[in-house]
Amino acid sequence: MSVWLKQLSIDRLQRQAREAKPSVGDSTRPVSSRVSAPVVIAGKHGPVEVLVAVDAVAERLGLRPGLGLAQARAMHPGLTVLPEDRARDSHLLDEIADWCQRYTPLTGVEAPDGILLDITGCAHLFGGEPQLVDDLAERIAGLGFSARIAVASTIGAASGAARFSETRFVDTGRERDFLSVLPLAALRLPAETVMALARVGLKTIGDLIDLPRAPLTARFGGNLLRQLDRALGREFEPLMPRLPVAPYVAEQRFAEPIAREEDVLAVTERLAMQLKPLLEYRGEGARQFELALFRTDGRVHHVTVATSRPLRDAQDIRALFVERLTALADPLDPGFGFDVARLAVLRAEPRPPEQIDLASHADPGDLDRLVDRLSARFGARRVSRLLAHDQHLPELAATASPAQSTAGDALNWAAFRQFRFAVDLSPRPPRLLAKPEPIEAIAAVPDGPPVRFRWRRALHEVVAAEGPERIEGAWWTDEQGPTRDYFRVEDSTGCRFWLFRAGLYRATSAPSWFLHGLFA
Amino acid sequence: MTEPQTLSFAPAGLDGTSVLARLRHALVTKNGGESPPLLPLGVAPVDDALGGGLEGGILHEIAAAREAEASAASGFALLLAARTAGPVVWIAEDMALYESGAPYGPGLDDLGLNPERFIMVAAPKSRDVLWAVEEALSCRGMGTVIGEIRQASLDLTATRRLSLAAGRRSAVALLVRSAPGRDASAAATRWIVKAVPSRAAKPRAMTLGPGPPRFALSLVRNRRGPPGSWVLEWNGVEQRFELVSAHRERVAQAAVDRSPPAASA
Repeated sequence: MSVWLKQLSIDRLQRQAREAKPSVGDSTRPVSSRVSAPVVIAGKHGPVEVLVAVDAVAERLGLRPGLGLAQARAMHPGLTVLPEDRARDSHLLDEIADWCQRYTPLTGVEAPDGILLDITGCAHLFGGEPQLVDDLAERIAGLGFSARIAVASTIGAASGAARFSETRFVDTGRERDFLSVLPLAALRLPAETVMALARVGLKTIGDLIDLPRAPLTARFGGNLLRQLDRALGREFEPLMPRLPVAPYVAEQRFAEPIAREEDVLAVTERLAMQLKPLLEYRGEGARQFELALFRTDGRVHHVTVATSRPLRDAQDIRALFVERLTALADPLDPGFGFDVARLAVLRAEPRPPEQIDLASHADPGDLDRLVDRLSARFGARRVSRLLAHDQHLPELAATASPAQSTAGDALNWAAFRQFRFAVDLSPRPPRLLAKPEPIEAIAAVPDGPPVRFRWRRALHEVVAAEGPERIEGAWWTDEQGPTRDYFRVEDSTGCRFWLFRAGLYRATSAPSWFLHGLFA
Repeated sequence: MTEPQTLSFAPAGLDGTSVLARLRHALVTKNGGESPPLLPLGVAPVDDALGGGLEGGILHEIAAAREAEASAASGFALLLAARTAGPVVWIAEDMALYESGAPYGPGLDDLGLNPERFIMVAAPKSRDVLWAVEEALSCRGMGTVIGEIRQASLDLTATRRLSLAAGRRSAVALLVRSAPGRDASAAATRWIVKAVPSRAAKPRAMTLGPGPPRFALSLVRNRRGPPGSWVLEWNGVEQRFELVSAHRERVAQAAVDRSPPAASA
């Protein structure tokens, strides 16, 4: 199925105008009749500015897309000209494509103004193809877009039918008859090819179908015949979905829109329960979920949660969404309510069926569940496990990584311990500052410990010090900075710090001091 | 009593207050006679005052005597956590991580706390810390949950909630604060930790280096026994605390910290 939004950018501007002035109301009247002055959108195509879209009033005045802006202005001085904004148009198109996911998960974008839907196997959910098309046409008009819709068994035929004919349904097997009357532009060819074909007298697709193929390919390139074959169904053309198609999807439609968060969560749990047998059947569990909530006014909310282990249990899934919804930066705005909810598993991993262990007290799943809940609430990067690395610089030797992605990974601490005993590593502080903080220190030259230092405006008198422990960055990169001499010092109150001098006295005239960690 | 007493109702060798404290505790805990898991510090006078050791399944507050000593307070909390079994979850607000640094694996390992057991959570606000601590406490098999809060005041409701959450499982719940709280608290014990110059530190003894860490502990509130003050030293080689000196008199803060009735809180 192809949906052609023939006035996408005009519709976008009118929708904006309507949102800005809600008092105008009365959305049943055709949008364009309210706008008295003709509106056109102009953009630079090559050296000249041309009209790229015109509204209904301007169209009646005889203005067409492709006309030069100067010429149009000369014809109608009262013209309202607005600049083209392709980025926003394409963003809007993406949003409409997302909205179309309520009909089928396989929706693609046909830039700049078309949407493709693979409705194979979906139409019966709406009572058949005509009903689906009617439903879509009605809803999309309600959203304020003028759209032409066509259904065919090939992408090319549907797209051509939507743009160049009034036909809504092209029967399977009759693509050839249907297409032969359409102009060549319906084949989605570059404008130059269409012009070149017109010059040799080929105007409709019918002119082309029975011509010998080899000379055509030689003259116009392989693309021409490929497009023809694809439109006729001789060659399969895959639809490129805009979003990856989820391996597991469950959805629910509501006769009456739902708005309350509890209802949303209850529906989520119900959908998760529907997914469970499917996941179990294939021996998989979900690592990432996406809940899509389709608002009645066309907006689609996507809420994503990740898990640290393959998950199937509906209760757990619900619990994750509870945290995620609470933590949303802009709370879920239901508007007039959601009328479709869809729960999709974006990523699944094998999960062997597990034996329930009656004896065990603490199953490791509990901790994973906690990690998932905390990650859903605060974001995965805020819940971390500590990892050891084979590095010398302290900040690189141990790092924190998201606990969700490191579940079950080796954290390398056994190797670190071996290394520590092997080289008799001096003590490390239990707390390390995110960045070494510069301090003012007075120290004995050339490599003595500081005698006193000032950190965060407080003066510390050093009474005991141990060091230096010299740590060099990797010699093959300069990013790690100069050599550091670390000292473990204790001040007169008993607080212990880990300080270092960056640079050696003979290398730099004024080495700087930093405080890096705090000992217990 | 020299050995940490981990069984309940041992009548011999206990003085009256201690028995009373235990009976009272048995009444307030949900599971009646069953004794709560205890975490002995391994120093007899401290364990005696605690009635056998730090109680699991209930909230304890550890405050730094002043802001600069936050690392001593968190170090003490980590040393306690190292003595429990099971995962250790450390929840701190961003500001605390910025001010006194994030937990560093090799350093934790030095304290005897295996970094593999460790999960660190950075919460944006102190309210989130409380929520996350409560979540973590309701997780089965948890060893220790440490919440680090910099906010000066905490209301009684917050600490009560944490106490109740801790009571559902047996994990040790520790609330680390950067300054002693002046407010009422539902914590079973409140400690004030101060860093103390280490053994080797003599004026200008620069060459000796800092000795093992020492903590001056004031137990200013203790539900199961008398308050007290001790100076403990951490023996990293044998992984145990050693008593340096004890002052079993009441410390000044105890009077301030005595909780007012709940209604006025």
